[in-house]
Amino acid sequence: MSDHARFEKLVMPHLGAAYNLARWLARDGHDAEDIVQDACIRALKYVDSLNRSEARAWFLTIVRHAFYDWCERNRPADIAHDDGSALEAAVDHNAIDPEQAVLRRAESKAIADAVAELPLAFREVLILREMEDLSYKEIARIADIPIGTVMSRLARARALLQGSPRLRAIGERTSGGER
Amino acid sequence: MKCDQTQPLIAPYVDGELDTLRRRFVEKHLKNCAPCAEQHADLVALRQRIRTEVPYFAAAPALAERVRAIVAATPPAGSSGRPHKRERWPRLSVGVSRHWQWLASGAVGGCAATVLAFVAGTAVLDWQASQNVVAQAVTRHVQATLGHRLVDVASSDQHTVKPWLSARLDYSPPVHDLAAEGFPLLGGRLDTLGGRKVATLVYGYRKHTIDVFVQPDSFDMPSSHELRGFNVAHRRAAGWDWLAVSDASPDVLNGFVSQLVSAATAK
Repeated sequence: MSDHARFEKLVMPHLGAAYNLARWLARDGHDAEDIVQDACIRALKYVDSLNRSEARAWFLTIVRHAFYDWCERNRPADIAHDDGSALEAAVDHNAIDPEQAVLRRAESKAIADAVAELPLAFREVLILREMEDLSYKEIARIADIPIGTVMSRLARARALLQGSPRLRAIGERTSGGER
Repeated sequence: MKCDQTQPLIAPYVDGELDTLRRRFVEKHLKNCAPCAEQHADLVALRQRIRTEVPYFAAAPALAERVRAIVAATPPAGSSGRPHKRERWPRLSVGVSRHWQWLASGAVGGCAATVLAFVAGTAVLDWQASQNVVAQAVTRHVQATLGHRLVDVASSDQHTVKPWLSARLDYSPPVHDLAAEGFPLLGGRLDTLGGRKVATLVYGYRKHTIDVFVQPDSFDMPSSHELRGFNVAHRRAAGWDWLAVSDASPDVLNGFVSQLVSAATAK
């Protein structure tokens, strides 16, 4: 099979996953398209060494690299300052109230916004786990970090979402009438 | 099993990462421990919310078309220069964390891939595109936007771009900045289209790039066209032929060409 045929068969089926990942990392549709196009050129170059069973994780690895390179060129500040300290300082871990879940549903945009605001290192791990349903091992390979780091970043991402100021703000608003 | 042993296992349990034995331990503990059960329920609820409320962004169909165009424009690289590549993958699969480390040379590899696509792609595309000016124009646009050689002369000043192009062509194309209309002039470029040197004006529109090929002769083609995810607009007016290529929408592109033509005829 030629490289082009392999690309069509192994990589193209995962274009949607690639776009979703790039879209959540870059947080912009047009930038995500540029990143995916760049990733496709890289993927084509190496596609002859690819196994069918790992095509999706392999391609997402390339997308992630393409994103970071794009970031270095276009938004170096995102990588340098996105260590999560600012967001975490604002988090109150006791803030979430499960009883508000029904009321919160009306504010469904809030959780999407909270995910978008997660620091990059936590956001990528969360997206790979929750939206692509990848295992810890696969995420470790894609993000090039140990499995233990995958677990701690995922735990951190979830804790940030559960204590997110946005989600908390909704809780305060919905319970405001009782005060 | 105690709480301090169970708590680190709750997330792996929810994520389906535990073996049978430990899964049983966690299940048993959760039945008997309210605080851990609550932590588990919170996590399940959060995951449920993420799944139902956080959008999975769908790629536009045009993206797949563009990717296919880019891939078609990139010649097969396997024929030369990489004799041992097939052997590299199995060897790399020994260590898990180092599995794809060779890809970490991303910046260098990416540039190389882009340059490869840009340089080597030209030869293959020459014959392919000569059949059709539209295909050729789209190809030039793809090459320019991917190769990061968007412009030969970067300037938003029409009085810089026009003389630069005139000096390199046997005609002097009309050049107008349309920043006020939302299309800032980014610069100019020399291209070959249908075997003829043409002036290319490069404009921005929001985050899109628009290439306009301008020449006195007529391009033989319909007025608007869609090819491999790119839109193409063509107009013959004021003694000039205008051929615009972009990933911006057809409406925007046609409106833009009208603005160009009216700017050229007004002066």
